[in-house]
Amino acid sequence: MILRHSLRLVLREPRRSLAAIVGIAIAAALITSVLLFGAASGNTVTRRALADLPVDAQVIIANGGTAAAARSIVTADPAVRAVSDFQLAHFDSAATNKAGTATQTSVGVLIGIDAGYTSQTGLFGLSSGSLQPGQIAISRDLASNLGAVPGDTISFSLPGGATVALRVSGIVSIAGADLLLGPIDPAHRAAGANPPTNVAIMAAGDLASMVLPRIPTGAVATDPGTAGAAGRGPATPVFAPEPAVRMELHVRLDHAQLPGDPASAQLWLDSVRRRVERQGAGAFTWVDDASASLEPLGADLAWGQILFIFLALPGIMLALALSRLAADATADSTRRHAALLRARGAKRPELVAVFVGATVLTALGGSCIGAVIGAAAAVALFGTDLAAAGGAAAILAAIGVAVLLTTLLATAAALLPLRAQLREEIGSGRQELQRNRPPLWQRLGLDVVALVGGVVVYVVAGGAGLHPVLNAEGNPTVTLALTSFLAPLLFWLGGTLLLLRIVGFVLRRGGWLAASLRRPLGPGGDLAARSLVARAGAAARAIVVLALAVGFATSVLMFDATYRQQQRVDAELTLGADLKVTPTGQVASGQIAGLSGPGIAAVTPFVDRVVYVGPEAQDLLAIDTATLPAVAPLADSFFAGSGAAAAMAALRARPDAILVSSETAKDYSIVPGDRLRIRVPDATGTLRTVEFTMAGIALEFPTAPKDAFLVGNLAYVAAQTGNDRISFALARADGDVAAASAAVAARLGAGWQVADLSTTSARLANSITAVDLRSLVGLDVSFAIVIAAVGVALFLLAGLADRRRELATLIAIGAEPRQVRSTIAGEALVVGVAGIGTGLLTGGLVGLTLLQILAGVFDPPADLPAIPLTLTAAMTAAIIVSLLVALAVADRGLSRLSVVAALRER
Amino acid sequence: MIVISCRAVTRSYGTPGATTLTAVDAVDLDVEAGTFTAIEGPSGSGKSTLLCLLAGLEAPDRGQITVLGHDLWRLTATERARLRQRRIGIVFQSFGLLPSLTAAENVALPLAFAGTPEHERRRHAESALDEVGLGTSVGARIDELSGGERQRVGIARALVIEPAVILADEPTGSLDVQNGDNVLGLLIGAVRRRGASLVLVTHDPVSAARADRRYAMFDGRLRAAAATAAAGDARLAGAAGPA
Repeated sequence: MILRHSLRLVLREPRRSLAAIVGIAIAAALITSVLLFGAASGNTVTRRALADLPVDAQVIIANGGTAAAARSIVTADPAVRAVSDFQLAHFDSAATNKAGTATQTSVGVLIGIDAGYTSQTGLFGLSSGSLQPGQIAISRDLASNLGAVPGDTISFSLPGGATVALRVSGIVSIAGADLLLGPIDPAHRAAGANPPTNVAIMAAGDLASMVLPRIPTGAVATDPGTAGAAGRGPATPVFAPEPAVRMELHVRLDHAQLPGDPASAQLWLDSVRRRVERQGAGAFTWVDDASASLEPLGADLAWGQILFIFLALPGIMLALALSRLAADATADSTRRHAALLRARGAKRPELVAVFVGATVLTALGGSCIGAVIGAAAAVALFGTDLAAAGGAAAILAAIGVAVLLTTLLATAAALLPLRAQLREEIGSGRQELQRNRPPLWQRLGLDVVALVGGVVVYVVAGGAGLHPVLNAEGNPTVTLALTSFLAPLLFWLGGTLLLLRIVGFVLRRGGWLAASLRRPLGPGGDLAARSLVARAGAAARAIVVLALAVGFATSVLMFDATYRQQQRVDAELTLGADLKVTPTGQVASGQIAGLSGPGIAAVTPFVDRVVYVGPEAQDLLAIDTATLPAVAPLADSFFAGSGAAAAMAALRARPDAILVSSETAKDYSIVPGDRLRIRVPDATGTLRTVEFTMAGIALEFPTAPKDAFLVGNLAYVAAQTGNDRISFALARADGDVAAASAAVAARLGAGWQVADLSTTSARLANSITAVDLRSLVGLDVSFAIVIAAVGVALFLLAGLADRRRELATLIAIGAEPRQVRSTIAGEALVVGVAGIGTGLLTGGLVGLTLLQILAGVFDPPADLPAIPLTLTAAMTAAIIVSLLVALAVADRGLSRLSVVAALRER
Repeated sequence: MIVISCRAVTRSYGTPGATTLTAVDAVDLDVEAGTFTAIEGPSGSGKSTLLCLLAGLEAPDRGQITVLGHDLWRLTATERARLRQRRIGIVFQSFGLLPSLTAAENVALPLAFAGTPEHERRRHAESALDEVGLGTSVGARIDELSGGERQRVGIARALVIEPAVILADEPTGSLDVQNGDNVLGLLIGAVRRRGASLVLVTHDPVSAARADRRYAMFDGRLRAAAATAAAGDARLAGAAGPA
């Protein structure tokens, strides 16, 4: 019975219901689309992580097993798309003898592959020369270390003592093959062991006939950590020894079957591994490279979840605020209907039940419509990723959550004013709007309580310290505690209420407002100001909705701009500078002058050597402190306890100065001034012990890997090792990077490889925020614009409904149409200016907080946030246009006002 | 001189397919300058609608309305508004005052719309309030005034523009008999002093009896009171409530 009456109330008051439904639907659409963005991003991250992976799994044939038997089992699995043969044999050392000069280098690997392997995996492409039968193509490092060129012969010392001499016919790239060339021992892998860089490729048949027979069965590879340590004796290996020969199958899986969510993807990969290994019954081991690639995504996804919290919270706040505005807009019709039902004999409990029922029905209807619209928008934007991320199930789950959340919140927001509306008749209801008594939350100071609570939770939970930590397996993870959600929620709630209090306070003292509006708008402006003072509570709510929408859009734009700025910094860090020029032959540090020329502003030589700190391999970056700062980006945040200039000065202060990573400083308990003995390879690849003095801690450095590294003076390293060959040169473009890149490539010709920033930026887009952020920003800003329009339209329409008699009186006593219109325009102007102004301000503050809390998303962290002035101006312009649309809607309502009917109302 | 002239004015309400209500049915009316015309009738007889038609607030379906020589519906909306703000004063049954303004600000509103400078507005408003006996309530808030005082503010607002015509819709309808009589006397006196015309719609025969010319309205039709006395007086006498 009550439900029937409630439904009848919804249907008989179409304008009331429509206003509420529109407000609630927008909030539900926003929440649904943000939830689905989360699901789609998970899939995008998974795809992106595996897209560049040449091999999903390595099947290691056990002793006594055969590749043919393993292949038949592996290819039979429905998840397997392709299988390739791969053989690897370690060598202990390699040497050349040219014109009586012998050159030797240390450990490495000989690889045997089929003719089709490169085309199938994209690995081991030839940089120069060719791969002739019975000959080898060698890596650039092996060529550099031996000074070998095509046509030379290299003698390889194999485990067990035998040697084999092979003629070089080409230079091969080993980019992307680190995981395949490195050790297969899990502990060894987890420690991040460096893969060999001395690599030679040959046909599988040649390896089988010319190399493998010379290596004794059961032989093990030499540990690279002990190689070259002449006179010291081999160190005790930390990890299980690597077999000298590995027979493998390289497997590529059908990625179409891969679930989108990284956690589900890992479960699927595990199930494939277990299924195939069960069939193999110990004949081979499945090394899951795809899972290894997915593991580090945990941190990205955790950051993504925090980002979602910040994106969803404004949506929830807006749901509350829009529902309240809709209740304001329909207050008059609610009172009239309540009076009608009361006149027909309805008692208060029945009245309450009918209106609560109608409120729930409206909220449910609006939530369902909005959730479907939000899902449709998300499907349009992230369709492909959503399909892979669970498709219909993910969409239904997001719709369910959004409908439940929005219905509950919208009902709560609408019921609060309903209580007062049902209590009063129309006349006294109007007085209620003009009451002087502040609402309960203001009297209780809930805004201040929420903000103080947020600060307490933030400090107690170490909000600023929400950074990824290494778990037991060495993978970065972030644990999200309840406090991670609570602090932002309290900030948003407290901030919104405080804004409401401040705006209401300012509006109620509106003498200045009347004077300000009278000048541009005449008597209509004066009346608009009086109306705003009289309806200060509703006006404050409209301003806060607009401010939230603008603030929401501004903070998202700011986050996006800062992310893009940091992505460029990340690319510069990875590449080192605008341009990275790598010689394929030997080039000394003094021979890079040829790089200078048109398009190049500055050049610096750079050496990157694998050195050993104790048993641990690290990258030593040897730089020229005089020229590097003009070429490579050095931010103060790269260095702990000092700025970039101070760190460079410390290096310049003494030749043997060295900057170490914080991990190294902690592991070895060293502080500035301490001496370090590091084994550095000389020109022959033999490790020599060189003494350094610690000068500081580097957290990041151009070209440095994310793990441990060292930064020293190039001249000192060259002098101590007798090796002044550079690894590459870095250059800063004088203008357009791509043009400079092309000019340098043309000037240097063959023998140099030129990489530039634009290609590196595209390759680095691997974090969750990089994936769909542009679509999300577009979606959020669009919602903000619609919310602004609907929020202001609801406020203006509520004003029209409240002031029908007043406006009709103004018309009757001679107000001209433009003067009546200016009373509405005055309200829109004040709400627009105040809402957009406070929105830009709060958006900036929220953006700064977001950047502070989400500092871990940026690698390296941002020194300063980026302010997207053009986009913010465009967004503001769009919101102003949306306000004009809202004003046009209100103006249409005004033009349809029946003066006679309004004058008769009491 | 005729200041208001209606010829065959008709106004109906209703939507296509629904029952149509003819609120004003082929009304002819002439109001001479400086006269007090009363239109009597029960609730729903169409007298308030007729007043809105005379004020140019409602368009007739048929017929012609001329006020002060202007064919109202040949004017633009702005021209009609200017005619009201400068030549026509309107008094409402429920006062039509803005609660956010003081008494003087309410009175000065039509002058503000007409672009009168602020100091002149204030002077004219105070003078008008003084004329209706509220010289001491210039800065009073509307909710501080009694019903009778509020209606005096409404009358002062109509008088402040020195109108040629005042249209009054049940000005005593919300007041007790004593207050109503005083307010009506005040209004008639002020109009007479200005030589303006007053059109009063009312359901009260006593108020109507003070008019120079009386009309009766019933089911949208307007008749001279003498001609309708036999058919309508019994019903008029029994009618109550606002028009």
